[in-house]
Amino acid sequence: MNSTLANAPTATPRRICQRPGAGEWFNGRTNGLILSFTVLFCVLALESPTFLSGYTLFVLSRQVAFCVLIALAQAVCLVVGGMNLSVGAIGSMTTVVLGLCLDSVHLSPWLAVPAALAFGALSGWLNGALITRLKLDSFVITLSMMFIYMGLRSGVSGGQPYRVPESFTFAGQRAFLGIPWVFVLASGLLAAMAYLFRWTVFGRRLLATGGNADAARLSGIDTARMVVAANVLSGLFAALAAVLWASQLGSAAPETGDTWLIVSFAVAIIGGTGLSGGVISAFGLFMGAAIFMLIKHGLVELKANPYFANAFLGTLILLAVVVDRVREMYLERRLPAEKLAPPANP
Amino acid sequence: MTPLLAVRGLSKSFPGVQALANVSLEFNRGTIHGLVGENGAGKSTLIKLVTGLETPDRGEIRLDGQPVRFRNWREAQARGIALVGQEIQVVPESSITENVLLDRLATRGPLRRVDWPAMNREAERFVRSVGLDLPVTTPVKGLSAGQKQLVRIAKTLAARARLVFLDEPTSSLTEHEAGQLLGLLRELRSQGVTVLYVSHKLEEVFAVCDEVSVLRDGQHVGTRAVAGLTKAELVAAMIGREAREERLGRLPVDRGCELLRAERLTRRGKVSEVSFALHRGEILGFYGLVGSGRTETARLLIGDDCPDSGAVFVRGRQIALHSVRDSLRRCRMGYVTENRKEEGLFLAASVGTNIALTVWDRMVQRWTRRISPTAEREVGQRHVAALDIKCAGLDEPAGNLSGGNQQKICLAKWLAADCDILLIDEPTVGVDIGAKEHLHRLIWELAAQQGKAIILISSDMPEIIKLASRILVFRDQRIAGEVPDVDAPGRTYADISAAIGRYLN
Repeated sequence: MNSTLANAPTATPRRICQRPGAGEWFNGRTNGLILSFTVLFCVLALESPTFLSGYTLFVLSRQVAFCVLIALAQAVCLVVGGMNLSVGAIGSMTTVVLGLCLDSVHLSPWLAVPAALAFGALSGWLNGALITRLKLDSFVITLSMMFIYMGLRSGVSGGQPYRVPESFTFAGQRAFLGIPWVFVLASGLLAAMAYLFRWTVFGRRLLATGGNADAARLSGIDTARMVVAANVLSGLFAALAAVLWASQLGSAAPETGDTWLIVSFAVAIIGGTGLSGGVISAFGLFMGAAIFMLIKHGLVELKANPYFANAFLGTLILLAVVVDRVREMYLERRLPAEKLAPPANP
Repeated sequence: MTPLLAVRGLSKSFPGVQALANVSLEFNRGTIHGLVGENGAGKSTLIKLVTGLETPDRGEIRLDGQPVRFRNWREAQARGIALVGQEIQVVPESSITENVLLDRLATRGPLRRVDWPAMNREAERFVRSVGLDLPVTTPVKGLSAGQKQLVRIAKTLAARARLVFLDEPTSSLTEHEAGQLLGLLRELRSQGVTVLYVSHKLEEVFAVCDEVSVLRDGQHVGTRAVAGLTKAELVAAMIGREAREERLGRLPVDRGCELLRAERLTRRGKVSEVSFALHRGEILGFYGLVGSGRTETARLLIGDDCPDSGAVFVRGRQIALHSVRDSLRRCRMGYVTENRKEEGLFLAASVGTNIALTVWDRMVQRWTRRISPTAEREVGQRHVAALDIKCAGLDEPAGNLSGGNQQKICLAKWLAADCDILLIDEPTVGVDIGAKEHLHRLIWELAAQQGKAIILISSDMPEIIKLASRILVFRDQRIAGEVPDVDAPGRTYADISAAIGRYLN
């Protein structure tokens, strides 16, 4: 074609986080996250005398790690263009399964933990299988599964926590070179996910499925399998978070996952996971979790009325979405006007 | 008597395409006026301009002899113009009454309560007059497609329309329902309503219209009274343009090497009894109108849809495909979709990703399990160079590229996967002239020089005659006929288009 110059766009718009095949780690969005994190961190360090103490940082980093795990469970589903409303319910039910194994059957933690993780993966698989076989929306399926698991965990446990052996608390309470084991684990997992989505066939097929499911299917990607796989990962991450939570708590409390749903969405959204699929950033998830916990901590320091906590969280999510949208609109305006197709006659 | 509606010198262009050029038409009171033409001839554009859905670049529209310019659909509606489109737009959860009187709910009392009894009585009148014999309180969602279409027409009656546009109203109706609808049109005409009837089905045009106008490439070819007109004359007017395209020469088809064969392929309601064979180095054209079964056949061949009966043979072996993944892996068969933006591309992803995604699993490094970045770039660069894709680099998002370059990417991903059977669906829709020429040459050379076997689906007659060595004409979900030796020396455009035209009616 001869209109070469006319068609070559002058500037490549910067991509936001990891899309199928995107190569950059840092961009406008991650810079914004780093900036907010730094500001929050400095303000807290200056204003609160106890903030920089080893104990506060230990506890905070552990909480960040839990946020990361929970957000990952949501993000892998968002990536393929779905969602998982049952992250918390799977977490709760996993805790009950773990409690039963440890407390009622007296299994060794070496067997009980794999059993609990297997339960998480299995419930994720069930979600995925129902979504793809029945060709139903992930919203409906995971909503009903959420209620099923919540009912089951209350019925089975009777609301009572299960005891866990002393040795089981190692991962949740101990540290490695001063860093909580939970944090080490979550960071490792996050790095693995970053690798997966950036380099591997599997990860990029997940991204492609969320980016454009029709195009992915018609390019020879087994999109149904990708959706199932994402849900299995989601269940697995939720279960892992539940097991670590029980380890940290020193008991398997059935109400473990009750607050996870909001947290999972909040951190994933602040971290720049695309709500319509195809976009994820491991680094963003980490920063999202850190910012989330810093704000929560800040509210405690300010002695804000805890009854208002959810209002702050909601505002935060809204803010993250609005900022994102504004930037997208700004980028769109810089794109060359899209060529209109001629009206296809019927 | 002045015509009810007259358009003069109407023109409209979209980027890269002149959709309508200097069209002048008159629609007389109390007549049914047919409007025919190929896909892209400008029929829908004309309707959009007259009903205020689009604004013309030039020209004037006169209603009752007065110049009018509708800024939107509501203004046109207020002047007694109604539109019944091919997709049946109804409010499924509402009753027939609500659908018919949606924009004129009668209220009474100080609380402006909806007066249902009065509305039901009112709706009843219109519903009966279109020959629909159902209680008006029936929810619309349970009705058949034909009944829904009748509800839509009842609605236009309720709006006291003097001029009704029907854009392919029978495309989703059964034959019986379509017959009923045509009867209703004659009824409307006798009540003094003017009807503009757009259809691909020439039988219907001959059955019901008084006059017929033909559009071709956005231009008005002519208007004739239907009485005394033959179907062959009408088809000739629709497709008979001069052979302005050069021919590319004869394709060296290897008749001894059959790559793909379909036998009595059938999918209920979509494709029936389709049989053909495709050889190495051949471009087999699938010509027909939208919905005639061409794309549906392609989807069966690549495993995106499953046939109810019939068999597919690839390289001589019978094969049952269940997904595009199957057809790619087992048969090296690729499908370039008809709408590249919705089904072909990942617009936000890079050019490199869009090209290489079919071969990611072939470039995985052994120990790290990662896709080799150098291999991926190499594949991308090779195809960007081979197909002359104009982009700022492999990292550029595919959405930034022009239509022609996007289409090349859709093609490139299958070439990267070494596919030697390609199904290419409407490759040049929405592509500007220069890119179109380039794509044509590219497709032709794939067959001529690399021996690819290509099925080319197109509604664009010059395109298909230029490229194909053999053309199958689809009509009503089956192959109506075959035009062989399209690329033989001595065959003219007029000659081939006449042969195609014979199978179309």
